[in-house]
Amino acid sequence: MVPPSAPLPLVANGVAAEDTARKENLRMVPPEVYMRTYLQLFGGLLPVDAQKRAKAGDGGSVFDSWDDYVSALGFPDYRFDIPRQTQTNALMVAAFERLGIALCDRALEHDLKGKAPLPVQDRLIFAFDLPKGTVDAKAFGPRFDVLHRTFLGYPAALAPPQRTARFFQLYRDLVSEHAKTSPKSRFTPDEAGWAGVCYGLVRHPEFHLY
Amino acid sequence: MTTRRTFLKVLSGGLGLAAVGLPSRQSLADVAKASETEFFVFIIAAGGWDVTLWADPRNEAKGIVHPASTTNTDTSQLRRWVDAPLVDGEKSFQLVRPAGSNLVFGPGIGDLADMPDRLTVINGLAMNTVAHPDGQLFSTTGRHPQGGRVAASSIDTMLSNELGRDQLLPTVSVRFPSAYVGADLDRRVVPLAIDDVGSIARTVTRAQQYDANPERDLVTAMLSEEARDLAKRSTYPDVLDGLALQYEGVRHMLDSHLQDVFTTGGLQKAHPELNYTRRFTRGAAVNAAFAVESIKRNLVRCVSFAVGGFDTHGNNYRTQAQLQQETFELVALLVKSLDRTPHPLVQGHKLSEHTHILVVSDFCRTPQVNLALGRDHYPNNSALVVSPRFRSNFVFGKTDLEQLLPAPVKKFADGERAIAPPDLLATFVSAFGVDPRKYMRDGEVVKELLRL
Amino acid sequence: MLRLPRALPRLSLLSILVALVPAVFALDAASAPPTVSRTLDDYRHFRTVAIDLTGRAPTREEIAATERADWNLDHWIDGHVTGPGYVERLTRIYMDLLRLEPNLTFSDPPAQLFRASIAGPDGKPMYVFYRGGQRRPREATDADFCLSPDETGLVIRPGAEAVGTPKKVPQKLLDQYTMLVKPWWLYKDYKSWTPSQLYGAGWPNPDPEYRPVEGLLSEPDGKPTTAVRVCKEEAQGMDVGHVYASGRKPPGAPAPAVKPGPGKPALPVNGKPGAPAPPVSGKPLAPAKVVAPGSTSQHALPNGAPAMPAPMGSMAAAAAPALAGTPSKFPGGRLKAAPVDSKYAMEHAGEAVECATRMGLDYAVDCGCGVGLERCEPSTGFNFDSPAFYYPNHMPLGPGMPLDEARQPASRWFPYWWSREAVRLLGDLFQEDRDFREILTGHRTFVNGPLSQFYRIVQRGNCCGPEANFGMKTEMEPLFDPKNVPPDLEPTDVGTWKMVADRGPHSAGLLTTPMFLQKYASARARGAVLYNVFMCKSFISDKAELLPSDEPNLTIRPGCATCHATLEPLAAYFARVEPASFVFLPEAEFPARNPTCKKDRNGHLNGPCNALYDVAFADDHGAMLRSAYSSPAHADETPAGAGRDITQTPEFAQCAVQQVTSSFLGRPISPDDDTLVRGLTSDFVKSGYRMRTLVKGIVRSDSYRKANNMSSTTWRGAP
Repeated sequence: MVPPSAPLPLVANGVAAEDTARKENLRMVPPEVYMRTYLQLFGGLLPVDAQKRAKAGDGGSVFDSWDDYVSALGFPDYRFDIPRQTQTNALMVAAFERLGIALCDRALEHDLKGKAPLPVQDRLIFAFDLPKGTVDAKAFGPRFDVLHRTFLGYPAALAPPQRTARFFQLYRDLVSEHAKTSPKSRFTPDEAGWAGVCYGLVRHPEFHLY
Repeated sequence: MTTRRTFLKVLSGGLGLAAVGLPSRQSLADVAKASETEFFVFIIAAGGWDVTLWADPRNEAKGIVHPASTTNTDTSQLRRWVDAPLVDGEKSFQLVRPAGSNLVFGPGIGDLADMPDRLTVINGLAMNTVAHPDGQLFSTTGRHPQGGRVAASSIDTMLSNELGRDQLLPTVSVRFPSAYVGADLDRRVVPLAIDDVGSIARTVTRAQQYDANPERDLVTAMLSEEARDLAKRSTYPDVLDGLALQYEGVRHMLDSHLQDVFTTGGLQKAHPELNYTRRFTRGAAVNAAFAVESIKRNLVRCVSFAVGGFDTHGNNYRTQAQLQQETFELVALLVKSLDRTPHPLVQGHKLSEHTHILVVSDFCRTPQVNLALGRDHYPNNSALVVSPRFRSNFVFGKTDLEQLLPAPVKKFADGERAIAPPDLLATFVSAFGVDPRKYMRDGEVVKELLRL
Repeated sequence: MLRLPRALPRLSLLSILVALVPAVFALDAASAPPTVSRTLDDYRHFRTVAIDLTGRAPTREEIAATERADWNLDHWIDGHVTGPGYVERLTRIYMDLLRLEPNLTFSDPPAQLFRASIAGPDGKPMYVFYRGGQRRPREATDADFCLSPDETGLVIRPGAEAVGTPKKVPQKLLDQYTMLVKPWWLYKDYKSWTPSQLYGAGWPNPDPEYRPVEGLLSEPDGKPTTAVRVCKEEAQGMDVGHVYASGRKPPGAPAPAVKPGPGKPALPVNGKPGAPAPPVSGKPLAPAKVVAPGSTSQHALPNGAPAMPAPMGSMAAAAAPALAGTPSKFPGGRLKAAPVDSKYAMEHAGEAVECATRMGLDYAVDCGCGVGLERCEPSTGFNFDSPAFYYPNHMPLGPGMPLDEARQPASRWFPYWWSREAVRLLGDLFQEDRDFREILTGHRTFVNGPLSQFYRIVQRGNCCGPEANFGMKTEMEPLFDPKNVPPDLEPTDVGTWKMVADRGPHSAGLLTTPMFLQKYASARARGAVLYNVFMCKSFISDKAELLPSDEPNLTIRPGCATCHATLEPLAAYFARVEPASFVFLPEAEFPARNPTCKKDRNGHLNGPCNALYDVAFADDHGAMLRSAYSSPAHADETPAGAGRDITQTPEFAQCAVQQVTSSFLGRPISPDDDTLVRGLTSDFVKSGYRMRTLVKGIVRSDSYRKANNMSSTTWRGAP
């Protein structure tokens, strides 16, 4: 029989990092936050003014009215005791696309297609000049960083490694595709490429989740 | 209602699925396979309906029951109201007895009285609540809210998760209390909750002056990749994986040109058989048209919508019967429209053979009339099912004669008691091969409700 | 427009590299290399905090600022627990819980004007405004439109389309029974003798948020409206009228005890004399009352006979046969007999009544809509849904940021402003960092023009019916004392908000606002929401079976007691505020147990007693005030007592902390959060229940920083 005795201390064999962070799932940015952010990106406009700018009355059919999107965006309706949506769904993602395209297209027109070049500090989203000629990775990177900070809130350098490359590939694909599929477009292929990069960021999971 | 305590007690007693009225897993799987061609329409009569006007008719003053009468009801628009004597010179209604049926209704049943052979009526549903949000959630999820939070998924989410993941729009919910709760649900089936069906069209419309669909598809495809990559890096990947699926869903939505069909005008044109001029249900008629059209195109699995205005505490009670009549007329027209529409997948079949309708409400109204000549909330309820898988021309459940309270109707696993919403919902989902226990803590399958 | 910082940051190695890139990038300093190397966690955390405290994602400039060495998150937090984004963030929590927006109409008969279209002397259509149920001296038009069907060819009633064939109304009749008025919704200076500041033409500095619909601004021929034609009785401006007895008695009624007195002539309105009221006795017809959906109140006449509500819509069908060739047997071709005198009218003929009250409408021929029709609200048609003003459907980002503007019915005008008042009240609580207990105990509120019109004038029309039998002919202790309404707000001052420091002695934060009292229309609903939202407790029944029972006391009735033992005493706090209404029943006139309300031989209570007291809790010694049976003490403590008692419970602070913390963490609170919640609760209470302290504590907590899956330490590495 083994008599009881006090336990000996365990010998450490190494050190392992323990992640004590509480594991929580991502949550959707509330529709109010989405809308306020959207309006800020549109130049700090009031909703009805942003709507006017987005519609622009130019036959672009880029935007309808906020009333058309309110329920799809997940806003509650207290009048009918309809609670807010706290999960994304396909229709909401479609609404994000619709609104995102409106923002990027109008911002590009505002920032880069005015009659007179707009000072960089007065630009809404595309706070950079487009390089002349083909955009290579070196020219793409810093410009993408501006957009990445604008929409996702941190430098592109800290993003997962493939992000910049993936968006650069998207840009190139769009430039190439645009010339073929949208010959009558109001955007040049280069502009369409940058607009597409903008779409990709304003619709990105990291923009809608936090 | 099966409480958690009694349920666990039952299970620990080793009685298994059969004892709580659940079919075997193998038979569920067989039924589920056969249910991939089924569609569902869920309707809530929001506000709490007066069951004494339709499903559980009362035209005599007995106990605390004060029937609808010409004093408190505007009968001018009621097609099925025939005066019957009451007391003190007042007049109530004659019971509506459809030919060739043992079912008995009140005049609110409207045109559904002409199709008793399609109807399953459930009376005496024990609600245990008289609060609107609670009643709605209990009727559609089988659970009361816990601390104000929804405790379980709604029936449309349950069925979409089982049978509708691959549909373009698994659940479309128009002001219906759809709920998506739980960790093991496919993110594609998060209900598309909208105010009106027209917003679908406006949301999927795309301008063509700046870019074209193939370009936008490139962006969407890239985003799907991004979402999946982020998911792989995350401890909890389901939100991001879900977003990836939703991006893909958007591509399919845009390819389907929904905006061409799903406008109010387009739907009314496509379905003139529904009535868009009724005082109370003109909006709901558009939702019904959407249901038929989207089912016909095999775009959805579940369409859920609300008909409002039933919360008649006051003077507005005068039109409760008319509201019911219009609602049930809408259901009747919906059924007839489904009767005429071919099934998109099963050749030779009509949609009505494969579409299942459930109509519920928050709770019912008091058997007494209050000082404002209205009725308040009451913890009893009725429901209506129109489904080829349910036993039709049939009523199940009852209330006592004098107080309209749910009465024991059969012996459940936890004893003799009234039927409750979890039992109805468990029965409904099990009819399509879904194991209720996957989604529902409570509720027993009531075999008596199902067609053999 | 976005402005970028001009100052260059200190250079780091990375910044030197970037400086070699052509300087065409806007950021300059912002995209210039960070002076401090921040981690991805830092950026993500800042984004989360910015979302929660500013209501939006951070801008590029804000992100750039965080990259400066002198930037401090704590200071940033301290500076941002203020402002519209922060206020909206907290308001959103309580609006999600309380849902204080109306899906109901409010159409108080004394206040509601309808607009009829008749044929003028030239045969062309013309508009005439009138009130439903307005008393008139002519039998042919008493409680109806001021011109009879014989005179107009039309049966005109509120809530139904006119039926018949219009015939030209001679000018003489128009002058005799109608007059032109310059109303408040068209004239800024409507109170002057000769108003001249017309909307759109001479109205100085019009409030841009005030927009009447086009239909109110033009005549049938399209010409701009410069004055509205109104039935003469409605045009009267007196504050006090007199009980009118027409002399028409119900069958079998005895002769009146008091001889009917002469009606006094109406004072001029806008310079024109009103018509004198002839002393004809009779019984008033029970007036039509539109009750808001969800309402349980019923305005009975003082003699106890409940008013018979006129069915909407059905009368058209009922009327058609009467008009289709069958001559009416009633004077003037009216559809139904003129109202007969009630017992009250016969006994009190000639007595003074206040014109703004319900009694003014029901009993006086010399009560109207006041100067410039300010006691009434307009409509552009015959029903309650006819549009009157533009205002938004959606304003989720708070005041001043509507998403739309839509034509809205008159019946939703005041409910809309009640909701805005509730949002302002919450906003003030959070912006000024007031003691959070004021949400249930506070006396202050904010009103604009429409609300001042409502509180000063319109709400008085809710009273009095059966209340008059208990000595209350006008509200004696209103929840919002009209004397405290700012006097310098006009009904059209939609965008001007003023603070009211004290609504009155019965104030109890949100609990005594019209929005709360209408949204939660019954005493039980009001008590239940207190329990759920402010104590974080649910009513969960533990037994399914409800056996038939005669026990009226739900606190002991089997099957009901589990919930109602708690609910009934909570509901009792609201026993003195009428259901679906804001009429307050003072203790002196309405004791919780009233010895004058006794059961009769047949076991019934008389009419007025039955309206306000509960026969289920009555005997031959007296009856209990409705909803008060479980706790007469709570009834006497009123909603103010509820606010005080609830805020003094430990659950109140804990619940507030739980609600806010759960919202900021984005998940329900679990037992793992006990330590956090305890600490936050202690700090919250010590700070005097200040939300800023609570929010700062939350956003500085470890739980908040790690409240999502985006921490870089949870990356599992590259796929």
